[in-house]
Parts: sequence; structure tokens; C-alpha cells
Amino acid sequence: MTIGSDQVKYVAKLAEIGVAEHELPKLVEQFNRIVDYVAQLDEVPSDTKAEPFLAGPEATPLREDVVNSAPLARPPAAMAPEFADGFFLVPRHGAMEDL
Amino acid sequence: MTAAAVAKDVGARLAQAAGLNATLHWSAECLEAEARRVDGMSTQGALHALPLAVKDNIVTIEEPTTCGSRILEGYVSPFTATAVRRLRAAGAMVACKANLDEFAMGSSTEHSAYGRVNNPLDHERVPGGSSGGSAALVAADVVPAALGSETGGSVRQPASFCGVVGVKPTYGRVSRYGLVAFGSSLDCISVFGKTVNHASRVLAVMSGPDPLDATSVDRPPMKAPAAISSLAGLKVGLPREYFPSDLHPGVRAGLDRTVATLRELGATISEVSLPHSKYAVPTYYIIAPAEAAANLARYDGVRYGVRRVGPEGDISSLYRATRGSGFGAEVRRRILIGTYVLSAGYYDAYYRKAQTVRALIAQDFHQVLGANGVDLLLTPTTPTPAFKAGEKTEDPVQMYLADIFVCAISLAGLPALSLPVGRDRGLPIGAQLIAGAFEEPRLLAVAALLERTLGGTEEVR
Repeated sequence: MTIGSDQVKYVAKLAEIGVAEHELPKLVEQFNRIVDYVAQLDEVPSDTKAEPFLAGPEATPLREDVVNSAPLARPPAAMAPEFADGFFLVPRHGAMEDL
Repeated sequence: MTAAAVAKDVGARLAQAAGLNATLHWSAECLEAEARRVDGMSTQGALHALPLAVKDNIVTIEEPTTCGSRILEGYVSPFTATAVRRLRAAGAMVACKANLDEFAMGSSTEHSAYGRVNNPLDHERVPGGSSGGSAALVAADVVPAALGSETGGSVRQPASFCGVVGVKPTYGRVSRYGLVAFGSSLDCISVFGKTVNHASRVLAVMSGPDPLDATSVDRPPMKAPAAISSLAGLKVGLPREYFPSDLHPGVRAGLDRTVATLRELGATISEVSLPHSKYAVPTYYIIAPAEAAANLARYDGVRYGVRRVGPEGDISSLYRATRGSGFGAEVRRRILIGTYVLSAGYYDAYYRKAQTVRALIAQDFHQVLGANGVDLLLTPTTPTPAFKAGEKTEDPVQMYLADIFVCAISLAGLPALSLPVGRDRGLPIGAQLIAGAFEEPRLLAVAALLERTLGGTEEVR
């Protein structure tokens, strides 16, 4: 299967990653190379069944549903240029000017 | 020796090793502060005054954590990783933050935004990756042990290339709290040691459950094993898929030497089969990028990341500009592949299929290492000794194949280590030992005896 530059551009849009036009040809070539390579899993019959596997504990440990303070080295106010009433003050973004 | 004296010595070694480009951050002031803290401890811990390099994707509050990426340039975490906290409480000192492939994606450190690390044994060659800085600092005798991280072999492979010991624990044995997430179902903080003993001691201290990581397993911390003097009764399997006919002759000679030594020490050797391991690299390169695409979404210039404003001035444009310029080529490729394999219409063909094959790969290991099987598996760590810089950068798949013998074990969540077993024309050869889940003590005890018997720096042919 060959993936064209339009499809790579579409995936880049989904991933919110800017790709310059001049970078596209090489990226498309490498993208196809990787997708062709991983496609060798097609050799494994599609009706193969396996017990689902995930490393780690058998179940997610449960804990009390209480809010604990995060063990931060510095208080939030020390990590922000401006902090007031429990809120981080950030610069207005251009896109929000009309709201 | 006081911690202050150790810190002074390490500072001099770090300065001397600057040409390796193995460190991203260190300062005499931070080292002195670490020494003061350790010298002021009321009792000496298990790792008293042991200097450690820490891979720069494990967070500490004193120095930046950049993950080898421009997007996190200057970022300082507001908390310290659990593993580092435990090591410090036992008297260890953080000497420096070590260079790595950007976001731990790579097998050579050539994908670090801050330049590649030189292999201390041959500067034209790569140290392996992604934890190449940590491996190089141990190999160059700057520190006796170092933290790295593994997602698909990122400690064992550089350990093999640099001629040091590299141990990946069972998934969940060490808390991931404070390890910057890449592939969450695979990531493990792992350790390099000048010797097996160094790695064992560090692993013992940092292991154990952590309420801050829900995937840490509720088992008591690992105990460093006592020394053994015989392998009588030990069954070791050689998986035939890991000894292809075109295996590098130096690697084969190193493994032959290891097998002969195992026999002399009393182990019985048999051939076994792991038929699905041949699919490990393609499986890994679907699952790991899919998880990375999700984990790295947070670097958007708003939540994290050095912000770039895009030409359109809207929020999407800000994201695209930040991520397009902040991430390097390999990280962008992996995010794109991960997004593609998770996207509508392709999820079943790639991601679901890869999950099935992952289960088959793990099942093979569980059968072979099960009750009627063998105790340990022995394979080469890498198909060749360290390769030259630039050899594999143009073809991503060639770079991925450097991990062909290590990534199946990561997919199965098992513990494994790489042990130096000799040299071929001066370049280290690593042998990989693999054990069943939570069998690290046996793995480390066998490796320590092999290390004592083999040496590890002799020419193999």
C-alpha cells in the first residue's frame, strides 16, 4: 500500500504537527517505508486468538476517593509568573480576543 | 571516604569527559549540595556516597529535564521521581543528567537535539540508545552506576555497545512516577552498572510499590542476591530465532564463549523456540508510537513546551508551530505513525493486530520459561557490535532493527540484562539473559557468577 502526501498531511493535521512543504517528500518516503515494514504482521492469520496481554499488575489498585495534595517541591505560585486566588494568570491569546 | 571527596572526584571526571557529550546538565554546586546532604545523614544508607548519572527523561527538581528535546529546553520539574527519591534516601548522589535520544526514541543518541554521544571506546561509533549518555558515563568510569529507561531495549542495547552491565526489571517492579511517559505499557526505569553488583544494589533500593504509580506492582522491594559459586541444576535455553545464520561472527564468538562457561559452571543448555519473536520489531513499532502519540500530545506550547506562535494566529496554528519546530524528525515520525495506526479505518489492521501479536510473543516466553521449561534464556543483546555514527540515520527501519533481540522482552514485560562477555577488535559484545517475571534475583546472581568467571574484556576471536 502506498500512502500519498495528502494522507501524510492529513495525519499531521490530526497530530497537530506542522510539516513544511520541503520536508514532505522525504517524510512520505520514510512513512511508507515504516508502514510497509510493520505490515509484515499481515502474515499472522487475522483469526488468531490470544489471551489479551498487558504487563503490570493484574488489576488497577483501588484507593480512597480523596483529594491528596501533590508532592510538589515548590508551591504553584512559585512556578507561575502571576498567580492569584488559586488561578494561574496567563497572557491573553489572540484567538480569544473576539470572545 | 566522605561524600564531599567523592563529589569532588566525580566533578573532575565529568569535566574530563566533556568530549563524550554524554551529559546535558551538571554543576559543581549541585554536586556539592548532594555531598553536603549525604555527609549530613545521621546513618549511612545502602548506597552511601554512590554517584549516579540520571537519564534526562527522569525528573529531578534541581536541574532541568529536557528529554533531549528542544521542546522542553529549560524545563524544570516541580517534583522528583520516586526512584531518585529512594536512591537519595539511601545515600546516593545525583551527579548529572545524561544525554539521550529525544524522548528516548532511538538506538544511537543521534536523535538527541543536543548532539550525539560518543562511544568512549571509539568516538566514531555510537554508544547505542536511547540511554547512550548514561551508558557512556559508566563505561568511561565517570560514575559506577547510572539510571536509564527502557521502552524497547534502551538500556540493554547501549550497555552492550559500551561494555557495561544494563538491567531492565520486570514491568511494574520500579515506579514510573517521574519518568517522562513514552510508551506507558512498556516504560521501565532501568539501571547501568560497572558491575552486576552495582546494578543489583541500585535496583534493590529503587524497586517496590509506589502509591503514585498505579502500574507499580504490589510486591516487596527486590533483595540484592547473595553470591553463588555453581550453576548446577540451572536450565538455560537458547532460542533458535535469536541465533540467525548471518549473526555477526564476533557476536557469535562471544555467545559461544558464554555458553561454554555456563556449561563449565554446571548449567544444562537446550535449544528452545520463540516463534513469534520475529514479529517483535514491527509489533513494537505499532504499539510504542501509538502510545507515544497519546503521551506526547501534552507538548503543545500551552500545557508544556516552548511556545511558538503560528502564522494564522489561532490555537491550532500555535499547536502545529510549537510541535512542528519543537520535536525532532524521529519524534515527529513516530507521532505521525502512532496517529496513523490509531486512526479510523486503520485501527483494526494495525493496532488491534499488534496487540494480538504482542500477546502471542508474551505467551511464547511464558511457555518456555514456565514450570516445565527452562530457568533462563540466553541470546545476543545486539546483532552487531556498536555501529558507526551516520550509518543508520537515513533509514529508520535499519535503526529499528538494532533492537531486534531486545524489544520482544519489553513487549512481554519480563526482566533481562546485558552482560559484557568479550570484545571483537576492541568493541564490546553483550550477552542477554532473560528470566521469568520477578525473577531478577536469580538473573542477577547468575550474571554475577558469569561476570566473575568470564572477565568480559577479552578478545573473543
